[in-house]
Amino acid sequence: MTHTGDNSSTQISTPTATSSGFDVLRHQFQQIWQVLAALVLIYLVFFVLSEPFRSLDTLLSIFGQASILAILACGTTVVLISGGLDLSVGSIFAVVGVVVGIMLAEYQLPVPLAVVIGLLAGAGMGALNGTIQVLTKVPAFIVTLGGLTAYKGIAEILASGRDLSRFPDSFQMLGSGYMVPMGIMFAVALVTGLFLAKTQLGNHAYAIGGNEEVARLSGVNVRKSRIYYYMIGGALAATAAILEVSKLNFAMPARGQSYELFAIAAVVIGGTSLFGGRGGVGKTLIGMLIMQTIIVGLSYLGVGTSVQRIAIGIIIILAVYWDVWKRPAR
Amino acid sequence: MNGTQTILSARGLSKHYGGVVALDAVDLELRQGEVLAVVGDNGAGKSTLIKALTGAISKTAGRVEMDGEEVVINSPSDAKRAGIETVYQDLALVNELSITKNMFLGREIRRNDVFGRLFGALDFAKMDSEIRALFQKLDIRIADIYREAEAFSGGQRQAVALAKTVMFGKRIAILDEPTAALGVRESKMAMDLVRSLKDHGLSVIMITHNMQHVMNYCDRVMVLRLGRLAAVRDVKDVDGDTLVGLITGATEGRAA
Repeated sequence: MTHTGDNSSTQISTPTATSSGFDVLRHQFQQIWQVLAALVLIYLVFFVLSEPFRSLDTLLSIFGQASILAILACGTTVVLISGGLDLSVGSIFAVVGVVVGIMLAEYQLPVPLAVVIGLLAGAGMGALNGTIQVLTKVPAFIVTLGGLTAYKGIAEILASGRDLSRFPDSFQMLGSGYMVPMGIMFAVALVTGLFLAKTQLGNHAYAIGGNEEVARLSGVNVRKSRIYYYMIGGALAATAAILEVSKLNFAMPARGQSYELFAIAAVVIGGTSLFGGRGGVGKTLIGMLIMQTIIVGLSYLGVGTSVQRIAIGIIIILAVYWDVWKRPAR
Repeated sequence: MNGTQTILSARGLSKHYGGVVALDAVDLELRQGEVLAVVGDNGAGKSTLIKALTGAISKTAGRVEMDGEEVVINSPSDAKRAGIETVYQDLALVNELSITKNMFLGREIRRNDVFGRLFGALDFAKMDSEIRALFQKLDIRIADIYREAEAFSGGQRQAVALAKTVMFGKRIAILDEPTAALGVRESKMAMDLVRSLKDHGLSVIMITHNMQHVMNYCDRVMVLRLGRLAAVRDVKDVDGDTLVGLITGATEGRAA
């Protein structure tokens, strides 16, 4: 393409003809290859160190164990990208598990109806978190910390005196084995990824997380959008809860404890910024797989869960260190 | 300048923060096709004036008319609907978004299919091609419009922000210090773009600290001091020294 002005202007003058869909893909790959390389490296380390680790079964179990938390973490990714934070998703997870359990075990509702009620309950609790923040301007950390304990209490009240187990076979299929949860994980990641990358509301998550004031001045409805992001976070926590209740074949309010922290850890390890504006679900999947690979690998090496937790803790700090200090200077 | 037809007039714009009066009953008149400079010392109320005018902050009092009819502007969206496009200082672009996404932020083009209608799926190809066409027309040489805004220089970012006003500003462009933090060459480029806004049929209100820019690029100048309108002058009737006197209060102006 030709330009009419003089070349002394300060504009960079890369010919436009060279930028294409390929460049966009390459640009995205540049952002993800480091975490991907880390995942492969960590896998190879355990592959070398442990004989039994070298099976396809192990690989599948890493994916399988990652899947439920990864679904929850996809929601966390959306919320963090938008500059928000939801500490209550573990408790939303507990409430939804109990609610679906009651619908199935006590009211014997059809499975699809129970699932829909569970999803709506999760979305509703997420929306409530967002609405309280938008209306009161109390920080996300505080509102969702309140939600963390309040929703937990609701789960306990709902579950008390009830036997929430032995669900219909058609429900148990959802979370059984590795393949179905894994398939649902990839489907959720794909849809969430498309939402973030291709839709208006998804794009606004990056804008609001990047600079809320610029987004507002550009005419973005920041308050309404925020409520939607928390709703999505709640609905995906509900999806994860339904799969786990199905897998375990029982529901109890203690489930979901600390899941919000594991989800945030996976998101951060994957490279989504804790401060909003950057990231994606592909990174979160990789982050979750890194965490699971370390957990599974360490147990194959005979390292106990306590030491595993210490390892994960160190990795979280390193990931944020990387986010804050090692980001390529622009 | 084509005549003296008033396109926008504001009467008695005021903004109080508690007991502090940031803006005290300021009148403003913008004529069709002119570049109106707003000058004043730090804290004179320049930014407050345009923020109150464009709905970025709620005004305590004041009335805004366009073409002689009252328009209610309570939010940035209201201003955009009225055809007023604003470039706020330091608040023009989101660093993390690509040039394309920044240009269309809040006014994205949706795909003209079921995905667009149901899910708000965006038509990036169309947005990209509109930007490329506009950049070519304005001689803005940014090719990699899919890259994040933070990857670009201050001059390039300002060029993008100004291009946004050309793309969406139907009537009025309001610019808060378009050359702040720019080097000499980048400033000239930005100011040439400001001049081209005029060629694109926009009337311009521009806050600036640069007296040279007032003298070279503007038609009229209004001086604010301590939240009040100190003077309004035709640029051809003043010189830099007089303006500085009006800004500091050494010369008493009469709002004409």
